[in-house]
Parts: sequence; structure tokens; C-alpha cells
Amino acid sequence: MSGSFKYGVSLYSYTDDIGTVMGLEDALYHAADLGATGIEILGEAHVDAYPEPSAAWLDRWFALVDQYGLEPTNFASWIDTHVQRDRDLTAEEGAAQLTLDLHLAKRLGFRFLRPKFGVIDDELTPHPIWSGAVERVLDLAAKLDVMIIPEIHAPTPIRHPVVEGYVDFIQRTGTKHFGLLIDTGIFQDRPLPYWQHETPEMREGAMSFLNGIKVPVEHLAEVIDYVPFIQAKFHHIDEQLHDHNIPWEKVVPALKSLGYSGYLSSEYEGVRDPWVAIEQVRRQHALIRKLEDEFDQRTSTNSQTEIANA
Amino acid sequence: MLERSHVQSSGFANVGPSDGPTGFRLRIRQPNYRGTRVSLMQGVDVTVDGELFPASGNRYRIGERDYAHAELDALTELRWSVGETIDVIVDKPGGLARGVHLVETVLYYRHPYFPPQFRPIPVRDSRHATIVL
Repeated sequence: MSGSFKYGVSLYSYTDDIGTVMGLEDALYHAADLGATGIEILGEAHVDAYPEPSAAWLDRWFALVDQYGLEPTNFASWIDTHVQRDRDLTAEEGAAQLTLDLHLAKRLGFRFLRPKFGVIDDELTPHPIWSGAVERVLDLAAKLDVMIIPEIHAPTPIRHPVVEGYVDFIQRTGTKHFGLLIDTGIFQDRPLPYWQHETPEMREGAMSFLNGIKVPVEHLAEVIDYVPFIQAKFHHIDEQLHDHNIPWEKVVPALKSLGYSGYLSSEYEGVRDPWVAIEQVRRQHALIRKLEDEFDQRTSTNSQTEIANA
Repeated sequence: MLERSHVQSSGFANVGPSDGPTGFRLRIRQPNYRGTRVSLMQGVDVTVDGELFPASGNRYRIGERDYAHAELDALTELRWSVGETIDVIVDKPGGLARGVHLVETVLYYRHPYFPPQFRPIPVRDSRHATIVL
């Protein structure tokens, strides 16, 4: 039996608006107005004076999430392994960054921490310190009850050594505080327009994933037990509520059928003209809620038919 | 609130004595979607009206202090946040003439989560900006 999705927004959606035409409160207002109950932030983008916000900023944060009825969901963090031109972070230094972010996330009321590790190749294989760094903070994550969830993000598909490595880690350590965040960009099945500064050479080479890596939604079943949170990445939804890149008509039923009842946290990543993101995020919520309702109605109708035929 | 462009109108000014400027400064907002350790930022090339001032020769005012290009790599604990600006200080004896200039910038960012061949990635901006003083 399926539960209902929870609907959230990542403030990443409002990149470039925040700080130029929008403040933190404006962003929370827009998220709350479209019916979101969860808010996701990026520590290094949205926490004033990160990593040491003032008492006044903390007071304001709690007042705002209370006023707008928003639950802090996921706190995004970076483990910038290539920290200097000729020096990488050690596992101890990576653990220190995670420790800092776990404490800050907990302090702000978040339940999930998304670390973005530096990578060593085109397939986004995380720097080898990742497991040592995470293992050093698992006890802390358990104590704080904050779950560490690296993202499965294009060009990395579900069936990939990176994912196997994360799953092996969960099985080896037996931890309940490490899982997978699915970024719905992996399901993208039509190309994105060229990004700013992108060249044809880049698109044909390491950036070819921007044409869509087209992970079949059926693969979700293989990892869903490890997935407590989903970033609903998207790029453009038109006036007919048609998404030009992400096949929500496949993604939503697949998640519903698997009983996923966690957050879908909007991550708009499209044209960055002022205020475009506000409307785009609203369209995405309208689209996904519509598809969820349609799935529920079909399921309900099928159940009634079964009862009638019994 | 800052302007949408990376290069800001305000902050563009000559530096040094008013009767003999030693150069100019250019104010840039954090162009990235997140703030970072300064060590990930590998400098800014500035071109004004076609004249290039390479990143390696420029100085960088971050917070209260000025840093030479070669010092940036060691600034692992200093952060450049979203919504904050830095000033790029460019040596140019005599400064820039009062009036409108075409300003082009290339900021070199090393994002460890990008594949190695895209480190650093050049982040470009171009606009007209005006020297008043």
C-alpha cells in the first residue's frame, strides 16, 4: 500500500535570485505558499556567516520556519577534497568537515545531511577518503540522529560501482544513519539546452550526460530500501504542465508503487532569469500532485473493482 | 541586494592618490550557487576595453585584507559567501578614465566535485561599467 509523498523545496531552486532579488524570507514564503511542508538548504549558500551563524541569525531561522510552517529536511554540505591545487583533504579532515556540518544541521533542525564529495573521474567516483571520513562520524550521526545521504546524481546511474560502494558500506557497517539520496536528474530522457559556457566539445565528451542518462525507473526497486529522500531535479516545465526533460509520468507511478512516502524536494535547475524559478517550482508541484492524485484514483478504482468482483 | 551580473556597478573605481591613481578596483559578487573556501578560487582575469590584466598579477580584497594571487591557494579557512563581494585590485598607473568601460572577467573556480579536466572552470562575465572617481 502506498503512502503519500511529502512535498518540499530546496532553496537551490532560487539560485541567483537569493541575494539579488530575493531574501531568505521571500524564498520561504514562496515555498510555503505552494503547499510545501519541507525546506532544504545548502549550508554554504543559505546559512549566514557559515559555518558559524550568529545567535540573531539562528533566532530568525527558527522564527521563519515556524511562521511559514516549514520542516527543515535536508542540509547540503561539501567535502571539497581537492582543497588546494596540489593537496587533497585527508580522511581526518573530511571527517572534521562532516562533524561540523552534522552539528550545524542538527542545530538548525535538519534530519538529513547530503555530503557532496570531491570526485576522481568522469563517472563521479567519490574521492577514496569518503568511506574513512564517513565511518569516523557514524557514531556522531547516530547520536544526533542525522542521516548522511550522498546523492546518486547524473552521470552516475543506479546500477554503478559508486552505488554498490555505498550499499556495501551500509551492509558492512550495519549503520542506520547512512543512505542514498536519489536526484531525479538520473531519469532525464531528453537533452538539456546548452548550459552557459558549454561548448559542443564538452557536450560530446564528459558532459554528454546532459543529454540524459535515461535510467529506467524500474531500477529504483533495487535501491529504494536505502532511499529516505529524493531531490526532484527538473529544468523546464511549460504552460501545459509538460516537463521537457524528466519523465514524471513514469517516475511518480514507480515511486508510488514502491510505497515511497518521503520527500520530493524540488530542485529547479534551469534558466536563471529573475523570478523564473518561483513559477517553475509551482508548476512542478502542480504536475507531481496531479500525477500522484491520478495514481491514487487508479489504485482506488482497481481496489473497488476487485471488491465488486469478489 | 546585489546586481545580477557578477561584476557590480558600485565598487568600480580608481585606487591610489586622486592626482595619480595607481590602478583600479572591480567588485564581484560570489558567482557560484554556494560559498566556498577561498582556496578553491584561483583568481580573476580582468579585461577593460580590450586590455587584459591576468589573474596572476591582480590582488584580491577579501573581507578586510588584501591578498596576492599566490596567497589564495593557502586560504582554506577563509570563506567567500553567497551575497558577499570581493574586490579585484588591478595595477594600472594612471588608473582608468572617467566614463563607461567594457569590463570582462574570467573567474577560475576549482570545484572538487567536477571531473578533474574541468578544474578550474572559467566563469565569465561581461558588461559596461562606469568610472566616476
